[in-house]
Amino acid sequence: MPYVSNTDRDREEMLREIGVASIDDLFADVPRELRTKTELDVPGPLSEAELVRHMRSLASMNRTTDDVVSFLGGGIYDHTVPAVVRHVMSMPQFYTAYTPYQAEASQGTLQSIYEFQSLVCRLTGLDVANASMYDGASAAAEACLMAVGITRRNKILVAGTANPSLRAVVATYLEASDIEIVELPMTGGVTDATALEAHLPGAAVLVVQHPNFFGLLEPVDELSAKCAEAGVLLVASVDPLSLAVLKPPSDYGAAIAVGEGQSLGNPVGYGGPLLGFMAADRKYVRRMPGRIIGATTDADGRRGFVMTLQTREQHIRRQKATSNICTNEGLVALGAAVHMSLLGKKGFRELALQVTSKAHYAALALAAVAGVSLRFDGPFFREFVIDLPVPAHRVKEELGRVGIWPGISCGCYYDGMDNSLLVSLSERHTREDIDSLASGLEAVISSGGTA
Amino acid sequence: MTDLRTTGHVLEPTVFELSHPGRSSYRLPALDVPSADLAEVLGASNLRSTPPELPELSEPEVVRHFTRLAEMNFHIDRAIYPLGSCTMKYNPKINEEMAGLPGFTSVHPEAAAGECQGAISLIYNLGRMLAEISGMDEVSLQPPAGASGELAGMLMVRAYLADQGNPRSKVIVPDTAHGTNPASLTLAGYESVEIPSGPDGRIDVQALVAAVDEETAAFMITNPNTLGVFENRIADIAEIVHGVGGVLYLDGANLNASLGVVRPGDVGFDVMHFNLHKTFSTPHGGGGPGSGPVGVKSFLADYLPSPVARRDERKPRGLEFDFDYDRPKSIGKVHAVYGNFLVAVKAYAYILTLGPEGLRRVAENAVLNANYLQKKLEPFFELPYGGLCQHEFVLSASRQKEQGVRALDVAKRLLDYGIHSPTAYFPLVVKEALMIEPTETESRASLDRFVEVMRTIAEESASSPELVTGAPTETPVGRLDESRAAKDLDVAWRKS
Repeated sequence: MPYVSNTDRDREEMLREIGVASIDDLFADVPRELRTKTELDVPGPLSEAELVRHMRSLASMNRTTDDVVSFLGGGIYDHTVPAVVRHVMSMPQFYTAYTPYQAEASQGTLQSIYEFQSLVCRLTGLDVANASMYDGASAAAEACLMAVGITRRNKILVAGTANPSLRAVVATYLEASDIEIVELPMTGGVTDATALEAHLPGAAVLVVQHPNFFGLLEPVDELSAKCAEAGVLLVASVDPLSLAVLKPPSDYGAAIAVGEGQSLGNPVGYGGPLLGFMAADRKYVRRMPGRIIGATTDADGRRGFVMTLQTREQHIRRQKATSNICTNEGLVALGAAVHMSLLGKKGFRELALQVTSKAHYAALALAAVAGVSLRFDGPFFREFVIDLPVPAHRVKEELGRVGIWPGISCGCYYDGMDNSLLVSLSERHTREDIDSLASGLEAVISSGGTA
Repeated sequence: MTDLRTTGHVLEPTVFELSHPGRSSYRLPALDVPSADLAEVLGASNLRSTPPELPELSEPEVVRHFTRLAEMNFHIDRAIYPLGSCTMKYNPKINEEMAGLPGFTSVHPEAAAGECQGAISLIYNLGRMLAEISGMDEVSLQPPAGASGELAGMLMVRAYLADQGNPRSKVIVPDTAHGTNPASLTLAGYESVEIPSGPDGRIDVQALVAAVDEETAAFMITNPNTLGVFENRIADIAEIVHGVGGVLYLDGANLNASLGVVRPGDVGFDVMHFNLHKTFSTPHGGGGPGSGPVGVKSFLADYLPSPVARRDERKPRGLEFDFDYDRPKSIGKVHAVYGNFLVAVKAYAYILTLGPEGLRRVAENAVLNANYLQKKLEPFFELPYGGLCQHEFVLSASRQKEQGVRALDVAKRLLDYGIHSPTAYFPLVVKEALMIEPTETESRASLDRFVEVMRTIAEESASSPELVTGAPTETPVGRLDESRAAKDLDVAWRKS
């Protein structure tokens, strides 16, 4: 039997030691009438060769970012993942270990996650970070719950320019509470700071994504100043790569920074696993959700690492815990730490510069196509929105035939944007890729939406 | 002073302490478009004044650093890891390889459904397999971990009951419940009402009868429970809960004991979550990623997280599978995308490898191994709830405590023998608890070695307790000062 080590003879001897006659006797507590009478109707067993054949055939039914020229982004980004990242994440010492409950036997996990936390603090400029959350969306939801607990106010403001999936997950997390969610309108693709004012009284928090879903930089200084006046906490949902060049959330007064860290060394993976991260001002550390790794010493004064402030967590505090999270995304966080260590100070900045340069080259090239225009005027980081003279989904279908995926149809998420595409760039795109997108668009548009 | 030893207690500097200005290991392509003037395109006021202080190391140094850290970890590929309720079973290598196929790793979730039929069919079919295994009608793979599955499940219960006129206010949990249960209930807007276990470690049915009323939304239990005992009156329990219009929730953490033997949906459960990282062999990754699919009976199916993978056999091949977003009663999204897809790939490969008989053998051998260990360890440690167990059992170090040795000390001493400790101090109903779950993948020889080590520790506790209370001594660091960690909080490295 696969993955079972006992032989029939072992089993017989073990049953004898236990003092029962058969395996069936071990299940005496399971009422006979409730037991499964027939074999489960699931496929298998497959040999390794059969399994590989089947899995390869499934995999071949998916078109990957290597098979086409893809400009899909929207929070999940396709970067080159260095072999070293996969190598470290494939070490059984890391991936087959459990949560580091026994610190002395888990120093590898603990120290690497402490390093991850340190890196998150360096990116965000904030003092404390946790050991990871499921994804950027749930991290934002947890930040809202934190802010409600801190301010004891029952209203949260979420920028309408934040990723639709982030807003959806926040709504789910708050569904059972009496917390009111106000979605803020936008102007020119960014949060309308004037409209914000009316909603500030009684609000616990403003969640703003920067750069936002459209790739645009938000007026964070202005939003932050208005929040500060009203005693509203600012939660910044940030793209970690953007922090190589953009000022950190600490600079514009964010109390909590969260974000999606998949782009730091992990593949797009059909959207999972992802990597949520969270950093906060030190004074809020006891309200943070999830595991936090801290440095300490052993009896001989040697440095070591443990899970700390555990009295916040569900296994100790139960219904009064700061969150229900237990399992997080530890291995993905390790991958992010390895990736950032490889890039280093210079490489991280160089990567951000390349992404920005390609995005701006692409915006110019696409806006030069007759009938295509940039939807918004504001500064953008890695992605931008273009308006087309024809519905975006038609352009996607046509370009798909020639192996180009031009972006995400904004109309799926926003009213009145059926002709808009969100185009995302990374260091993987060559000038030729971008030029082929421009000429492809030109061909589709000049033929009225059919290439 | 520099420590020049290479074995024994060698500490690894942090990646920041290893950093040396000017080193690098990135190899980006040459920029083939004009380099953007960042101040011009992003706005000078948006830029940071100094780049983030990421460490500067060469590639070989990065690899060595993380390899040396890896060497400090215990892990299941090395030895038995008998953490109760965590199901630390062997993680099949072929599953890792399959989840690493570019056809899975490099698929963007915004790709059109017609371009990723393999991925959607895998999500759909794994859902069908989990439904078959559990006796549930519909399954969503969206929750990325068990606690997320609990939240999704209870939000569905809430939405369903609200549609019936009253979401109700409380959920009953036994005192043996995992901590995530009451924490998830709070998040789902429910008050947790704890009821005590009976003397046999099972639910006290009279206490349940006394606790349920018209405000009871659900009874949330783990079965077999965290003492490793099957709730043999589950049919009565279901009747009591359903009798007041409540819903029966299964925390599927312990499903390993039931595979192919008994299906939760057949014994009265209405909603449950699975832990693919426990029962279905996907690795724990040092704390994640996991996957916590949620399964429901048909009356709750409209409330499942959106979107739901579906198959329309009338559509031509290559277009049969897609996601249904038109779910007006759905609780919404609990994950940014479709859940931890690459974890699901591993669980899918696992089920296909085992097949129906293999799955049943998992449960049989898990229960056999646990009973064998329980029997062999009973002479040395107190067994507060005797009799046959399921996949796990709970010992107490109460005898050792009289000798000045606590469960924590036993846990730490095990590390000196190269064995990870059982779950300690849980469930809360057992004093000095050591909760042991060997899983089916351990051999008899491995179990015997564990018994031998536990016997030795029991002897040491009697003859030289300081050996045990002073443990561990063979690990990279000695026992760590947790109160200092909380008091002098240091959660991010800074140059001192």
